[in-house]
Amino acid sequence: MPLVNLTAREITCKLVYYGPGRCGKTTNLQYIHGRVPENRRGRMVSLATQSDRTLFFDFLPIELGVISGFTTRFQLYTVPGQVYYNATRRLVLQGADGVVFVADSQARRFDENVESFKNLQDNLLEQGVDVRQIPLVLQYNKQDLPPDLILSPAELDDTFNFRSVPSLPADALHGTGVFETLKALSTVVLQRLAARPPSL
Amino acid sequence: MRTIEPWVERPLTTFVAEAQVRVALLMTSSGQVVAQHGFTRSLDVMTAAALGAGIVASTREIAREMSAGTFGAVVHQGPRLGVYLMPFEMPGGTWIGLAVFGPDTSLGIVQLFFGKLVDDLVREAPREAPTRQVLPETFEDDLNQSLRALFGR
Repeated sequence: MPLVNLTAREITCKLVYYGPGRCGKTTNLQYIHGRVPENRRGRMVSLATQSDRTLFFDFLPIELGVISGFTTRFQLYTVPGQVYYNATRRLVLQGADGVVFVADSQARRFDENVESFKNLQDNLLEQGVDVRQIPLVLQYNKQDLPPDLILSPAELDDTFNFRSVPSLPADALHGTGVFETLKALSTVVLQRLAARPPSL
Repeated sequence: MRTIEPWVERPLTTFVAEAQVRVALLMTSSGQVVAQHGFTRSLDVMTAAALGAGIVASTREIAREMSAGTFGAVVHQGPRLGVYLMPFEMPGGTWIGLAVFGPDTSLGIVQLFFGKLVDDLVREAPREAPTRQVLPETFEDDLNQSLRALFGR
């Protein structure tokens, strides 16, 4: 659950970017880090291997501003996408208030997307969270690639969007769809918070 | 000193004074900040909490993988500063304490007073979670306005 400080009127939410290796999770955070004014964000922490693959997580705190009288902050995390880092993925997912599932739109990466999405469901279930309940947004990244190499958002929706959650096409490298994705998840997470009582 | 709940402030203030630590941070096991002393920027606190929670979570996972039960505190002693990181159980779940200390105190003192801090927190924690509506129904307009201001679109 989001952490709510009723005294200081602050809300902090943990949002996790999930998806297969090299789908663009870290790129999303790097783009946000580069575009959000410095006084509204913290340092971006990347625990990565020497070849810049995410080893544990990337972390970026941002301040959204005052929403209905509450200073609202988001903690953005990515998980390592590679299959054998599942133990660390589970740890990062712990206590998530919302998830962005970043799918790689390339047709040849379809199976990795499916495997990662199933892995997300398994890891949530292990923590007692039903994937049908947690705020979720789908981002179909790399839609800038030639059409013959990628699946369309409608085709990807057929496989992944059984809950009719917000789904957005993106080109995270150039920023297309990055803020829209974050905005969509922010809205769902805060709507859920408004409907439910807070807890520490 | 900044705290999420007022009842945390007195035990933490006492701990900082008695253990002579430079920085103290209390967080949930998922890295959410509960209270802090010594940081100047709230966004830096969140980074420290995320890293601290990550260290504790991965240490616990190693213990589980090795069937070693649970490990206690994680301590790093540098030439100038030491870091003490310790998970503990509260009525509402696991919390983690992080303390940074210099040569003006010692690990033994920090450990001693940290134990007292945990006792104080457990004693003062409310037994029932508050149930209050937080956001008014009009929050969505505010949210959209904030997002537009932040992202420039």
